[in-house]
Amino acid sequence: MSYTFFPGCSLDGAAKDYHRSTLAVAAKLGLEIPELKDWICCGSTAAHSSDPLLADALPAKSLSAAGGSTVAVACAACYSRLKTANHHIAGDAGLRARVARVVGRDYDGRTPVLHLLEILCRDIGLARVGAAVCRPLSGLKVACYYGCLLVRPAEITNFDDPENPTLMDQLIEAAGATPLAWPHKTECCGASFSITDSSVVIELGNRILAMAQAAGADCIATACPLCQLNLDLRQRDMERKFGCQYNLPVFYFTQLLGLAMGCRPDELSLDSLIVESKALLDAKGIGR
Amino acid sequence: MTGGIAPPIEIESVGGGLAFEVNQRSGALPMSCYQCAKCSSGCPVADGSDLKPHQLVRLVQTDQREAVLSSRIIWVCTSCQTCTTRCPQQVDLAGMIDALRGMSLGAGSVPSGIAVPVFNEIFLEAVRERGRIFELALMAKYKLRTKRLFEDAGKAPAMLWKGKLPLSAKRVGGKEEREALFGRAAEGGAQ
Repeated sequence: MSYTFFPGCSLDGAAKDYHRSTLAVAAKLGLEIPELKDWICCGSTAAHSSDPLLADALPAKSLSAAGGSTVAVACAACYSRLKTANHHIAGDAGLRARVARVVGRDYDGRTPVLHLLEILCRDIGLARVGAAVCRPLSGLKVACYYGCLLVRPAEITNFDDPENPTLMDQLIEAAGATPLAWPHKTECCGASFSITDSSVVIELGNRILAMAQAAGADCIATACPLCQLNLDLRQRDMERKFGCQYNLPVFYFTQLLGLAMGCRPDELSLDSLIVESKALLDAKGIGR
Repeated sequence: MTGGIAPPIEIESVGGGLAFEVNQRSGALPMSCYQCAKCSSGCPVADGSDLKPHQLVRLVQTDQREAVLSSRIIWVCTSCQTCTTRCPQQVDLAGMIDALRGMSLGAGSVPSGIAVPVFNEIFLEAVRERGRIFELALMAKYKLRTKRLFEDAGKAPAMLWKGKLPLSAKRVGGKEEREALFGRAAEGGAQ
C-alpha cells in the first residue's frame, strides 16, 4: 500500500512536535509518507458549523489529488473532516454532483483515509513496531487519551470501539510501557473553545487530568493537536482553578514510540512540551 | 376506517416546520427522538448550558423556533459527537446543531457573548486567502475583531518560546481557484 501524508495546518504550527516525531518514527519503521502536494485546510469545525457544502468541498479538493494512494492523517480533526466528506459524497449522488461543481472536478468519495494509529497498528503491525523498539519504556504508566473525533461517529470513522478504543494502548504496550485502563479515553477536552471560551477547556480538561491521575498515570499520550495543546498548555490553569497538582506531561504517542525506538529527544521535539517531561523520563531511566 | 390495520404513521412527515427544515438542511431526524435523554447524560456541556440536548430536540419537535435559534446550547456544543453516537434512535444531534447554527446566524438570533461565529468567519476567510491556517495571524485577527486583546495574552510567550507558534507559515498557490470554489459553495453548487 502506498501512502500520501496530509499533515494538516496544526502540524505546521502548534503541533510541529507531532509532525517531527511522526516523521522520526516513520523513518525508523521504513514507512514512506511523502506529503500530499498542495493540500488545503480541511475546514475544521468552522466549515461544518457554517456551510455543509463547503465542509465537504474542502476535503474533496485535497482527497481528489491523492492519485490512488491512501491518505495518512495525524490530526484527529482533519481525520474526521476527511472521512465525513467521503461518507457524504460516496453515499449521495446528488451531493457528489454539487461538490463536483464547487470543486471543479468530480470526486467519488472513495480515497482511503487512515489515521497514523490505524496504519501503525494494522498495516505495519505490532510485530514490526515491537521489533523496532530498542529502548523499552519499562515502568512508564500511560493514560492513552483518544478524544472525540477519531472514534465518533463510529459508522463514519470506523476507527475502533467508540467507547473503549485500544489502538494507541496496543502501540504503547509494544513500546514497553504500561497502558492504563481508565474511563476518560474518549471524553471531550473542549476542542476549539480553547480560543473562544477557555473556561470550557479548563473545566473539561480538568476532568480528564483528574481521572488520569486517579488511575495512576505518569503521563498522557495523545493523537490530536488540540487535545495535546488543551491538556498541556492549560494544565497550570486547571491546577490553579481546582487547587490540585497534576504535573502530567502530555506527549504525542509518536514521541513515546520514538523514544522507545532510540530517537534522540531533539528529534522528537520533547522540549516543546509545556509541562516538562525530563524529570519523569530521567526517573524512569528513559531517553536521555 | 373499516377493519384492517391502519397504515403505519410516517413519523418524519409529522412535526412542525422547524423539524422539517432541520431535516432538509442536515438529514437529521429530530422527530424520531423519544426523549430518553441518553444524549444529555453523555453531553460534556449540558450542565452549564441553558438547555440539555434532549430538551433542544423536544423544542425542535414542537416548532419553538425562537427558543431554539436563540438558545446558547447550540453555540456551547463542542461537536464531540457523543450524542449522535449514543442515540438509540439514530438522531444525528450534532448534525442538527450544525444546521441550527446556520439558521441562528441567518435569523440574527445568536445570543450575546458568543464568539464562535466571529471565529468561524475569520477562520474561513483565512482558508480562502491562504489555503491553510497560520495560527499566529488567525489569533491576532480574532483578538482584534473581538477586542479580547488581553485574554490569554500570557499564553503566547510560552508558545513562542516552545516553538509552538511559528512566526511564518507556508501558503499554497491557487488563490483564484479557491476564491471561485468558495463563491460556488456560497451559491450551493448550483448548475
